[in-house]
Amino acid sequence: MLNIIKSDLYRVFRGKAIYVAIILILVLAFVSCFSMSPGHIGITTSSEEQPLIQDNEILEQVYETDSILETRELMKKYGAYPLDKAQLGANANLYYFFIIIVVIVLVTDLSNATAKNTLFSAISRKKYYLAKLITCIGLGTFLILINNYGSYIINLIMNGKEFSAGFIEITKLTMLQLPILYGIISVLVCIGFCFRKIGTFNSITIPLIVVVQLIIMGVSTLFHLDTTEILNYEFQYIIGNLISNPSNIYILKTLLLAIFYIIGFNVIGYQVFRKTEIK
Amino acid sequence: MQEIVLQTNNLTKKYKGFMALDNATITIHKGDIYGLIGRNGAGKTTLMKTITTLTNKSGGSFSLFDSEEELTESKRRIGCLIESPAFFGNLTAYQNLKYYSIQKGMVNDKHIDKVLKLVDLFKEKDKKFKNFSLGMKQRLGIAFAILDNPDFIILDEPINGLDPIGIKEIRDTLKKLNEEEKITILISSHILSELYLIANHFCFIDKGRIIKDLTKEELDLECSKCIVIKTKDVKKATVILEKGLATTNYKVIDNTEIRLYDYLDNLAKVNKILLNNDIEIMGIYESGISLEDYFNSLIKDGAK
Repeated sequence: MLNIIKSDLYRVFRGKAIYVAIILILVLAFVSCFSMSPGHIGITTSSEEQPLIQDNEILEQVYETDSILETRELMKKYGAYPLDKAQLGANANLYYFFIIIVVIVLVTDLSNATAKNTLFSAISRKKYYLAKLITCIGLGTFLILINNYGSYIINLIMNGKEFSAGFIEITKLTMLQLPILYGIISVLVCIGFCFRKIGTFNSITIPLIVVVQLIIMGVSTLFHLDTTEILNYEFQYIIGNLISNPSNIYILKTLLLAIFYIIGFNVIGYQVFRKTEIK
Repeated sequence: MQEIVLQTNNLTKKYKGFMALDNATITIHKGDIYGLIGRNGAGKTTLMKTITTLTNKSGGSFSLFDSEEELTESKRRIGCLIESPAFFGNLTAYQNLKYYSIQKGMVNDKHIDKVLKLVDLFKEKDKKFKNFSLGMKQRLGIAFAILDNPDFIILDEPINGLDPIGIKEIRDTLKKLNEEEKITILISSHILSELYLIANHFCFIDKGRIIKDLTKEELDLECSKCIVIKTKDVKKATVILEKGLATTNYKVIDNTEIRLYDYLDNLAKVNKILLNNDIEIMGIYESGISLEDYFNSLIKDGAK
């Protein structure tokens, strides 16, 4: 199993995709630090991620301007706040980088039929599955660390200490977010093993985050449920909520949800893959 | 006794409403170049995929290297190229082999150069796989199959789409591997004449069923030109052939059939001398067909 992981790392770091992903992450961190506002994905934003600015007057000016430079000046004028911490609240963006990781590590292998070169030899499907999962999680962690500490360092350099939450706080928040991020990687790995084609994988995973939010909102409206309460356990919201002093109960619930994702989706993925004919 | 490399017993693979492999039983001995012949969709690839566990069998069993040890362990001793060679397009030939050598736990990188030289790809080792011609891809597939010094290699139509020179190169490489490295080979093709030049054992498969399994000598016998003599008195007939026609170039097939390989242009003389010696002849005719005709006749017989 270790050999499969080593060979995949050899291949991944000989391709361009991982470097493009790293550069993109750092560019996004740079833009975010320069404009002093974290971005977000999806059709909703988490309640904790958005209100960096409490002052309505400045907020209106920020909305009115199209200039990043002007936004930066307005944010600086507003006063010090931990921008790097806020950037961690937008870590749902990493979802798209996880797609890249799963495609290069797993889906390419299954889609190009190169997986058969590995599977006919003395490597069982279980070992293959675990090796791919561990590689995806390992590389996912690598990107998370680059994103979190990259943002922290870039922010320190560009905006100074007063706009930083500090190294320890960033580390603590990273640890809090890791389980749910691993859960999401497990979902992607499961989809990869179930569909095995790059086109199909991309067409399912790219809109998935928005589709899930739409479904939650649609169902909530239809059955008159509390949308906010349900959305608090949606991936993007969890990521946002975990950075703003969540209660222990909430941390525990999200941890359980992450464990459920990791176990549930990997069991499904492996069961499907076990019976699959390798083309 | 010769070591058995692969033994299948009534191996069956069923898809929804379709029997891809129907009770296939074959035995491959060490040192064999075993040719698997059949039309497209006959079940050759399914048989290979089942042996290599790329697909799950529906019934029957198989064993590798005549051992009771775990299949996973036996699979360490095989190399394989099934269907078209698949590698990573953005990696070079060397990098692709390096990737799999890491996977197989090989530490000696010089061996990669050795197999690349063996398949005549050393000069192209830094060329990306996506820029390879079909022949080069096939050769890289063979290099991959022999990468970790296997005892048994399984090659699924390795000459598909190659030009005559490419076919000859692959044939020479495989012969060399068999003779010098003592590697047992299972090779499939739908071109009997090509397989004939390399294999020493032939297995005909059609609609998932093994319809004939024979050695090269037996195939030669089946196909060579001869006079077939059908008689109830084989023993007496052979004496007449030896005394009356002064030939020993014949073969007794069973207790009603003799095949005579002399006097091919003088069937009447053979007939006359047998009749003159009171041999009751049930039939006498010339036989001998081309490999392709033999293949066709087998398939027609199988269809009946």
